[in-house]
Order: sequence, then structure tokens, then C-alpha cells
Amino acid sequence: MSSLEQRLQALGRELAFPPEPDLAVSPASRPFPWRWVALAAAVIALAAAFAVPSARTSILRFFHIEGATVERVETLPPAQERSNAGGLGRRVSVREAERFLGFRLLLPPLAAEPPAYLLDGVLATVILRVGGRPVLLSEYAARDFALLKKSVGEKTVVEPVRIAGEPGLWVEGPPHTLTYFSASGEFRQRTVKIHGNVLLWTHGPVTVRLEGRISKAQALHLARRIG
Amino acid sequence: MVVDRPLDEAELVERARRGDLEAWETLVRTYQGIAFRTAYLLAGNAADAEEAAQDGFVKAQRALGRFRRGAPLRPWLLRIVANEARNRRRSAGRREGLALRAAAQIRPGGAVPSPEAALVAREDQERLLAAVEQLPDGHRDAIACRYFLELSEEETAAALGVRRGTVKSRLARALAQLRESLEGEA
Repeated sequence: MSSLEQRLQALGRELAFPPEPDLAVSPASRPFPWRWVALAAAVIALAAAFAVPSARTSILRFFHIEGATVERVETLPPAQERSNAGGLGRRVSVREAERFLGFRLLLPPLAAEPPAYLLDGVLATVILRVGGRPVLLSEYAARDFALLKKSVGEKTVVEPVRIAGEPGLWVEGPPHTLTYFSASGEFRQRTVKIHGNVLLWTHGPVTVRLEGRISKAQALHLARRIG
Repeated sequence: MVVDRPLDEAELVERARRGDLEAWETLVRTYQGIAFRTAYLLAGNAADAEEAAQDGFVKAQRALGRFRRGAPLRPWLLRIVANEARNRRRSAGRREGLALRAAAQIRPGGAVPSPEAALVAREDQERLLAAVEQLPDGHRDAIACRYFLELSEEETAAALGVRRGTVKSRLARALAQLRESLEGEA
């Protein structure tokens, strides 16, 4: 090796590289958390029990991606108990959910196929785990919902993000509400209170949503593994 | 007596092919350092490098079924990650310049030079780094992979997506350019 080549090698050892990220973090690397499934389902059912019809509030600003809108409002819709204790929907296999939805579910690499929960035949949810906490991965075709609307207060952060070049929104902060309307012809509306952070983005015709007590970095990391 | 021993790479790959995520994570942790540094040198910034490495490992995991049994994993992984990194640089169109570590970061075990000698050596390295950064992209990348990262010629070829002969000729031309450039300054 020439003297110049040796100097280049020595130079390489003196270069400042950014800190090395841990790329091996996998939400599915450990046994599937069945007890968290039950707990998460119970939390969702409870949130749905307090679900309310949408309320008229002053809209300060709104953000929109295909299939979803986030509105910043002065006051969130007041909680109101409903008899309909809808949660994630009925438990089905991933294949059955895909048959109803008409598209392949976008999932991160998983050791075993998880159960899916199908709501109104148009929204599928799978429960993942990140850092020991349950995270809901929900997907639907934008055509199946006339509108998915989130209402957030002034203290909730809403940031546009991009996932693999596609537009998305990061929603972080105090509890906010989620209202959705089915586009199946029969008017149907549900509003639930969301306590975690949410990442919403589009992947072709599919709108994908991650919800849980996760950081933005964790959500973006997981989102990049999905697809 | 049963003695635990670390699994070798071929065993880990075989397990990962069968869906063993722990085996895959062990492989990722083994190679994420060199993969990330390769991506950083090719993509030109930390954010794109991290994305490229993440996406590269996910694609590699999905493609494990097509990985040739018994072949070395590292060049195969580097090819996939580097391809992601080069695509990102192409779309970003520019890269951040490389920098030396802070002078205070003495390498463990290294002899401590006199302040004057250290200053001269640092200026010398900065001049060399500036000359490398002036090279055309293909030559600069070959130098970065082969010497900065100390990849083999085969791994450099895999990372750059070119043949081994192309790596040799790029390196020869790049070294000649560097000599010329450094002599011109002296």
C-alpha cells in the first residue's frame, strides 16, 4: 500500500460520523402481547362509551391529507355517553380483513400473523407493540370514508411529515377526538377520544394510522418499516 | 455437557430465513455500523443515511429467501443499503461535506503527539480531505469506501454497484488526481 493510501486510511479513522442509530428495533421481536390486546381493546371500548356526536366548534385551522382532515378548534366536542360501545370491531384474520377491504394490509415484518380487527367492514386495525406499549395500526381505503376528521385543541402539535415521499401528519399532545363517517351509503358517525399520539399518512390509495403512546421518532421509524 | 456458543453467520442467516426475528436482529446489529457509515458517505447526510440503512435492512430481510446460501452476507447487505443511499443522494442533489473529529477526541491507545506535530498532522489531514471532496463523485465514492471505510475491493464494487475492475480503475485515477492536487499545493 502506498504512502498516500495509508494516509487516506488514517484519515478515514479520524472522520466525524454521526451517532450510529439502532436499526434492529422491531416492534414484533418479542412474543405477541395478548394481555395488552385485551387492555387496548378495553381502553378503546371505554373511549367509545364516551363517544359523542360532533359538536359545532370554531375551526382555527385545518390540515388535510387524502382520507383524513385534522382541525384545530377552540374547544373539543364535549364527551357524551353513547350506548353503542363500539371498539376496534370484530376479530378476524388478516386475510379476511383484506378480503373485506380489497387491499393488502401494510404490516411491518412480524414473527407471526397477528389478528386483525375489522370495523364496519372498512377499517382494519392490528395491535403492535413499541417499547412495551400497545400501538394501534389502522388502515382503510380513502374511498371508503367520506371523511375522517380529527379535532385537536390549541396545545396539540400538528406537523406535516413525509413517509417514503408520501404526505402525512404527526399529531402529538393532549387528548383529541376522532370522528369518522362511513361512506357505505348508510350514514354512520363515531367520535372517540384519543389519548395517545397519532401518525397519519397515505400509501397509494390507503390511509394508514398509528396511534399510541409513542414518540415521533418511534412512529416514523415504525412507519418506514410498514409497507 | 452442553456449552452455549455464539451462532455463526450462516446459522443466523438460516434462522432469519425461517422467520427468526432475533437472529435477524443479531445480524442487523452486527452490520448496522458499517452499513450506516457507508450510507452516510454515499447519501451525504445523517437523515438520508439513517433512512437508507433502515429501508435497506427491511428490503434485505424481505429478500433473504433469494440470498445465496454460504455467500458472505456483508457485501450483499452493503449493496442493498448503498443502493438506497445513492438513490437518496440523486434525489437530494447535494451532500454535506465530511469533517474531522474534534481535536480533543484522542483515539484510545494512540500516542499523544506534541501540540505542534498535532497541528501539522491535522492541517495535513484537512488538506487531504479537501482534495478528496474535490474529486468527481464516482472517484470520491471509491476512495471513501475503499480507504475511509476500509471495505474490500469486492465490497466497494458492491456498494457502488459497479464491477471490481471499475473500482480498480477509479481508484487508480483518483489516487493520481490526489497526488497531482497535493503536489500542486506544496
